[in-house]
Amino acid sequence: MSIELGHFALILACAIALVSALGGLVFWRSGQRLAGVLAQSALLQFVLIAVAFLALVQAFATSDFSLALAANNSHSLKPLIFKISGVWGNHEGSLLLWILILVLFGALVAAFGRRLPADLFNLVQGTQSLLVAAFGGFTLFTSNPFARLVQPPLEGADLNPVLQDIGLAIHPPLLYAGYVGFSICFSFAIAALISGRIDQAWARWVRPWTMLSWTFLTLGIAMGSYWAYYELGWGGWWFWDPVENASFMPWLAGTALLHSALVMEKRNALKIWTVFLSIITFSLSLLGTFLVRSGILTSVHTFASDPTRGLVILTILAALIGGAFLLFALRASALRQGGLFAPISREGALILNNLFLATAVGAVLVGTLYPLLLDALTGTTISVGAPFFNLTFGALMAPLLLILPFGPLLPWKRADFVAAAQRLAGAAALAIFLTILVSSLGGLSISLAPLGLLLGFWVAFGSIAEVIERSRLGRVPFSESLRRLAGLPRSIWSTAIGHLGLGLTVLGIVSVTAWETENVTTLNPGERAELSGYTVSFEKFEQVPGPNYMADTGRFIVTAPSGGTTELDAERRTYVASGMPTTEAAIATYGLSQFYLQLGEPIDGTHVVRLWYKPYILLIWIGALIMAGAGILSLTDRRLRVGAPKRATKSVLEPAE
Amino acid sequence: MLIEDSKRLGPMIFWFVAIAVTAIACAALLYAGRGRAVNAGALEAADTNSHFRQILAGIDADLAAGKIAPEEALGAKGELAREMLRAKADPIKASGEISQAILLSGVAAIVVVSLGIYAVLGSPDMPSQPLAARTDVAAQNMDIDAAIARIESELEARPDDLRGWTVLAPALTEVGRYAEAANAYGRIIALSAPTAQLLTDRAEALLLAAGGQGSDEAVQLLRQAVELDPEHAQSRLYLAAELTRMADYAEAAQYWQAAIDLAQRNEPWLPAARQGLAVAQNDGVDTSAEDQAEMIRGMVGSLSSRLYAEGGSVEEWSQLVRSYIVLGDLPNAQIAYDRAVAAYPAAFDRGELDSIALGAGLKLNGAQP
Repeated sequence: MSIELGHFALILACAIALVSALGGLVFWRSGQRLAGVLAQSALLQFVLIAVAFLALVQAFATSDFSLALAANNSHSLKPLIFKISGVWGNHEGSLLLWILILVLFGALVAAFGRRLPADLFNLVQGTQSLLVAAFGGFTLFTSNPFARLVQPPLEGADLNPVLQDIGLAIHPPLLYAGYVGFSICFSFAIAALISGRIDQAWARWVRPWTMLSWTFLTLGIAMGSYWAYYELGWGGWWFWDPVENASFMPWLAGTALLHSALVMEKRNALKIWTVFLSIITFSLSLLGTFLVRSGILTSVHTFASDPTRGLVILTILAALIGGAFLLFALRASALRQGGLFAPISREGALILNNLFLATAVGAVLVGTLYPLLLDALTGTTISVGAPFFNLTFGALMAPLLLILPFGPLLPWKRADFVAAAQRLAGAAALAIFLTILVSSLGGLSISLAPLGLLLGFWVAFGSIAEVIERSRLGRVPFSESLRRLAGLPRSIWSTAIGHLGLGLTVLGIVSVTAWETENVTTLNPGERAELSGYTVSFEKFEQVPGPNYMADTGRFIVTAPSGGTTELDAERRTYVASGMPTTEAAIATYGLSQFYLQLGEPIDGTHVVRLWYKPYILLIWIGALIMAGAGILSLTDRRLRVGAPKRATKSVLEPAE
Repeated sequence: MLIEDSKRLGPMIFWFVAIAVTAIACAALLYAGRGRAVNAGALEAADTNSHFRQILAGIDADLAAGKIAPEEALGAKGELAREMLRAKADPIKASGEISQAILLSGVAAIVVVSLGIYAVLGSPDMPSQPLAARTDVAAQNMDIDAAIARIESELEARPDDLRGWTVLAPALTEVGRYAEAANAYGRIIALSAPTAQLLTDRAEALLLAAGGQGSDEAVQLLRQAVELDPEHAQSRLYLAAELTRMADYAEAAQYWQAAIDLAQRNEPWLPAARQGLAVAQNDGVDTSAEDQAEMIRGMVGSLSSRLYAEGGSVEEWSQLVRSYIVLGDLPNAQIAYDRAVAAYPAAFDRGELDSIALGAGLKLNGAQP
């Protein structure tokens, strides 16, 4: 009965959302009473969807194969954690997870948004409910997770083996939290457009939500990248796969939104632009979640899809995104711009950042969708691969990284570029020195690698320049410096730390791209291979049964140049239910570098073994984690941050001291 | 008796809980809409004013620091003043609280929509069936021999039970008791009317019982089936195969062709039928191996000239290398592999190409350690 109750809870939640959407969007001027009802409705939607989701979890955990979804995607022998994560390792279940997060955020706005003006609150909750109703309806009528089987099979068909990994428990929830979080910004933007008002409450709400969603999205993408790196067995960490791009585009747009929301919160400027970016970012999030389900794309992320589903999802997307842009076109002129600033100022730098990021989104969008459109319209199949993205994206990021350290040093409204440049001289000198040092040690030929290194060091050092500057390190006693550092506002710390993380990620990318080495060879137990000073010896090969798979396990011992040895197990698994193989790469970590080993197919009694040495690859993900940490730090800063005239005055006076 | 009870009670309990949940949700919404006055508007106004004061202070500070010219400051202040006036002149244009009637009709809509959709989509009479509860039932179903024995004993008492024979016949085929299965299909045909499918099933059981020795009776049955149903492909396939075995190639070819003509799209047996037709047309000699080599040679010729001239994807290069290996032309395979490595220097991009090359013993000069 629990399954049917879950089904009913989902339907009831959708009915409540449908009525709330109509009520909220039609009677938004009605004030406080409606706001009370809508807040209650948001909480109810969350509770009911949570019940529905738990019913699915219970059915999966108890291997109730009278639930078609569990029969198709679970197996009684799977470990419990994968039974539970299997709930969202499929189209229907992941859709319900998406909606669960949507209603969770709606409930959070209801719980913490009591001080919002009633009309804004009504419009926001109305729009959120509209999203819940639209996607809930899509779930119920085309992809119902609660479909039943009259004669349950004895055993389930099992989950795609690649997904039977701890990564599935972490990556989708984080990514969805990021995607869906931007729905709040979207709803606020729609509310602003309908009511024609963007007041301070609007700005104060949008920035933390953007920051929260962006933090989740950063973590989700980083986790997905690391998962692909260790699970797919190719040693790559980013493939420019259409679905990766689909998650990357909202991140780029979200980064732009984050910075423009900052300007808006502090200086009351860039209002229309912020509204526009809010719509764009959530539209790209929808594209990211649903492009994979439309049947247009094929990739690791593609769930089984049928044409009806694709058509319905494209219709919903077209209506939501098209409707939002139509509303924008009609109403944006009614919004008032505000805030004055000179071209060279913090605001100006942030606009420049926005332009570069928006162009990068455009480049990735073109590279992702153009082959699809071309295929659909003319039947010509072309593939836009990594070279296109590396070139266009790299060309756009280089100038962005170059100007990045200037941004935080420029005062609001009107700035002195030369003064900012002087304060960055130390960082620049350090970056150049380290680049030359590393390049000469690394024995680089003429390539782009030194330029990449230079940019990475420049961003990393430049981002902490402001913090060091403010601590007056070396000019006042050390304890005084520490005291000053501790006293700095968290917003300054989070800016510096976030940019530092970006610098580290850039360094990791450049290092792996320039100095990665690889070796493909055949090995038998007892034989050895070498790569970049590391020696691998193949100890033994055996077949080991797992809970729901058979594993061909190779035991390897890696000897580092320093002499330390590490034992590694690389596996090739064949899953019983599906007969599908997966590879489990063996990875040894040395500091920030990794040695990556993959056991390939056996050929004539010998084994193909692929080896990679990936210097400083961990910096890529550590940098992303640091960026996300900066986002959390910024969220804990609850001060009302309006304008920065006092700080600007101080920075102008300092050179006179 | 107990099972019957729980079958009737299950949906009742479900509907009771579902209606209770709906009632609680509606009551919560109505309670929230009782319109308790919360003075949030005033808070908002105070916030807005303090915000404007801060901005004003900011402009003054900038002016004092010489960051903006006096006329710019004046402009900014003017802008700010206009903004304040606008905020004052344009308060939330409340259109009056929503009426109780709207609220009630909204709640009624929720009840109707939710119960209505569930009535269409739901299965209230289906209990949950977790694995633990299901294994006993399943274990009983699994014992096919016991089931066959039970049906057989029932059929001894009532030998004219068509349903019993219909269940029994495929089960006997399943467990390899082909002669008895053929007998059972015979009973079904006698008790009902002969259809092409039943005749074919009986012929299949006879052929399986004969263990590849052939059966005249089976051939007769298949001919009957073919005559009975001009659209039945399975009987034609079996007949063609039998005729091929009996070296009657002319007639076999005729039935292979007939079966192929009946194919709707990509039936799984289609390639086998095509090959069967080719064998029959060639008087029993399998030419497919020669044809395949010829085909590969033709394909390799065009593919290699194109790839060497214009380049191509990794998949195409892999195909070329694999084709040379199949043809036993290792020197050319090595050349093609080297060209592919030159075109795709990173092993990651080359995919399975390296594995193919390794398997054929080619030199892997591309993968530098």
